[in-house]
Amino acid sequence: MGLGVAELRQAAWYPVASSDDLPFRHVYHGQLLGQELAIWRADDGYVNIWENRCLHRGVRLSIGINDGAELKCQYHGWRYANRTAGCTYIPAHPADAPARRITNRTYPVKERFGLVWAALSADAPEMDVAEAGFALRPMPVNALPEMVLSALVARGEAVTQLPPLGAALVLAGAPGRATYFVQPVDSARAVIRGVLDAEPDVDTLMAFNAVLARLRDAVEAEARAIELPDPIVPRYEPVSVELATMPDRVIGRQATVRVMVRRRWQAALDVTGIELAPLSGHLPTFQPGAHIDLHLPNGLVRQYSITNGPGDLTGYTIAVKREAGSRGGSAAIAETLREGDVLAVSEPRNNFPLRRDAVRTTFIAGGIGLTPLLSMARALQRQGLAFDFHAFARSAEHLPLGPELEALGDRVSRHFGLGPPETAEAIRQVLGAHSFARHVYICGPGPMLELARGIASELGWPDEAVHYEYFKNTHEIDTSSSFTVELARSALSLTVPAGRSILEVMRENGIEAPSSCEQGACGTCLTRVLEGEIDHQDVYLNGTEKAAGNVMMTCVSRAKSARLVLDI
Amino acid sequence: MVTLYDFELSANCYSVRLMLSILGVHYETVSVDIYPGSDNRSEWFGKLNPEGTLPVLVDGGYIISDANPCLIHLAGKYDDTDRWHPIQDWMVYPLMLGWFDFARRLTASAGVARTGVAFGWNADLPALQAEAHRLLRRLDEHLWFGEKQGRDWLVAGEHPTIADIAVFPDVVLSEEGGVSRQDYPAVRRWLDRVRRIPGFVVMSGVFPAAPERSTVPLDLRRS
Repeated sequence: MGLGVAELRQAAWYPVASSDDLPFRHVYHGQLLGQELAIWRADDGYVNIWENRCLHRGVRLSIGINDGAELKCQYHGWRYANRTAGCTYIPAHPADAPARRITNRTYPVKERFGLVWAALSADAPEMDVAEAGFALRPMPVNALPEMVLSALVARGEAVTQLPPLGAALVLAGAPGRATYFVQPVDSARAVIRGVLDAEPDVDTLMAFNAVLARLRDAVEAEARAIELPDPIVPRYEPVSVELATMPDRVIGRQATVRVMVRRRWQAALDVTGIELAPLSGHLPTFQPGAHIDLHLPNGLVRQYSITNGPGDLTGYTIAVKREAGSRGGSAAIAETLREGDVLAVSEPRNNFPLRRDAVRTTFIAGGIGLTPLLSMARALQRQGLAFDFHAFARSAEHLPLGPELEALGDRVSRHFGLGPPETAEAIRQVLGAHSFARHVYICGPGPMLELARGIASELGWPDEAVHYEYFKNTHEIDTSSSFTVELARSALSLTVPAGRSILEVMRENGIEAPSSCEQGACGTCLTRVLEGEIDHQDVYLNGTEKAAGNVMMTCVSRAKSARLVLDI
Repeated sequence: MVTLYDFELSANCYSVRLMLSILGVHYETVSVDIYPGSDNRSEWFGKLNPEGTLPVLVDGGYIISDANPCLIHLAGKYDDTDRWHPIQDWMVYPLMLGWFDFARRLTASAGVARTGVAFGWNADLPALQAEAHRLLRRLDEHLWFGEKQGRDWLVAGEHPTIADIAVFPDVVLSEEGGVSRQDYPAVRRWLDRVRRIPGFVVMSGVFPAAPERSTVPLDLRRS
């Protein structure tokens, strides 16, 4: 009878829910041709259709929590982003940014006719139906989908077939013409989804419902008389290794994503706000604290933090401060970048991960340093976790992204025009003595960062509770040493002469190593050290990490011993 | 002093725990091990409730057995607003009694299927599941048209009633008895609404709902 499962899978778009089935903060449990679906509407209106299982332990995501921007698995709390289904947080790894590429399976989605449509195959043809419509109450029927369609057609007049499983007709006893689509839930289960041109009154809806209920009862009686086929065995295509595991290498400097400058505006004195939109679809998943490399038309590459809240993947918003001593990056943006320009950026990279297991999180932002912290605060606000945000700036006019900060409400304190002693006093007040599971995140100009870290240390804050990100490494790099580097995995022994970095020497010898800022600030080139004494010259690692001596930044750090063994 | 004779896994006991929590009534529990202990068949419990069924609520020496009478007692005594048990409203009250009857039939089908699966008790699972699906179809239809008419709960009114609390447990636990709710989207949305009632508590197999969009408190956990 009719088309086989394989043909139906390829053939078309199928309705899987009514638009009304997807109120905000709800997860709908759907199924199409045996394949279970978790369907949810984010607060931005986007409808997500995902495979109904968490990549971690296979638990149904349809029992999960839709927080408006992310879907959280009910079992171990893995979080997946609106639109991409990229994993953004794994509670068992609170201090890591591990999940960059872990991504659940998504299906193409359309919302038309008052119905939500899915396609199991990416090559389903473009859908050609009217935009408007009102969905009748869906009528599940335990019978073969083709039987259900035949029954509709047999009881209908003025039938227009809409292959593969639809027909417009006047059903006997119904108060008018309607278009009926049969959703093939499984081999012997279907849902009749009727559509009217406009919303009728409730009595009309009830009349249609009564007719469809009678039809359902008749078809189910027929189905009970025949031998039904086995349920379709759902296809769980294994997620690719790349999408299912932690990447063992951090994302490199390749400009893999093309974006357009959708909006640029004055985000403060000397600060340009820029929204980078994808050329099509949506942007890659990012985690709070993440940055991108922006490849500028003049060939320079600069790092900027993403300020977006969770699940907001229609455009990355960054803020660029015009530096007085610009080496060409911030000046190029301020002077030459225009709306409509197309640029290339790297995938988001997160070397500044946010823990979400803190009892309270404190953010200390200096000027433009609030950009990564804004993204973090938005994530905590969405999750209803406790935080306080302290923005330091020379004046209100110097404070970047003021309106965005405003949305965080009374958790934000603004500190304007303070000199170093007053700033120190304010930070001392904000931090107080360390207490259990409190964490602080600091980003701002170097001197302020040093000050805040020093105060935290004085007040008894342990290194692991103090998180920070420098814009740049202002220390003079001492490149006078020369030493030997052994690359354990590559079985190579290299000599690093004075004046050259380990990273440069490795690259000259054909070793591919990711990097970004190349001044010891961003953390991208972090490498494990197996043997040897490290001459740390970066500002990424904290004192405890430096003392442990098992990781280093190959872009600026060197060896104190004659020989270093690296895990590369 | 309010004492609940309670079995943690019982759907009927859960409805009473829910109501106690929603109304903010302080109570203590005496655990009665139905499975595997069969404590409800013991002599001491027989003096409390000769039928041997749970829950039993003892409130100031007054003994009430079974879920629906317990709900009526709690709403009558502890809800000053009468919203949970609008006994004066002759348009609503008879419908509530109808839903109590519905809850009982759901317990006798979905509930028995669930304990059959969980405890290996003798049960005609296909017949019980078919009856549960028949009831859930009715419930879904009622709730779907309710949404179209601006009614969020089982009976008319802005506020939920003890009818919602009586019906909720066997619905929310139905999948443990092999009764999927996939075909009942309006039921699933109503489950979200019940789970957002202030004071709602979970039990094993019941998960909290996401906070509603409009009422996500910005200072949820700020001390």
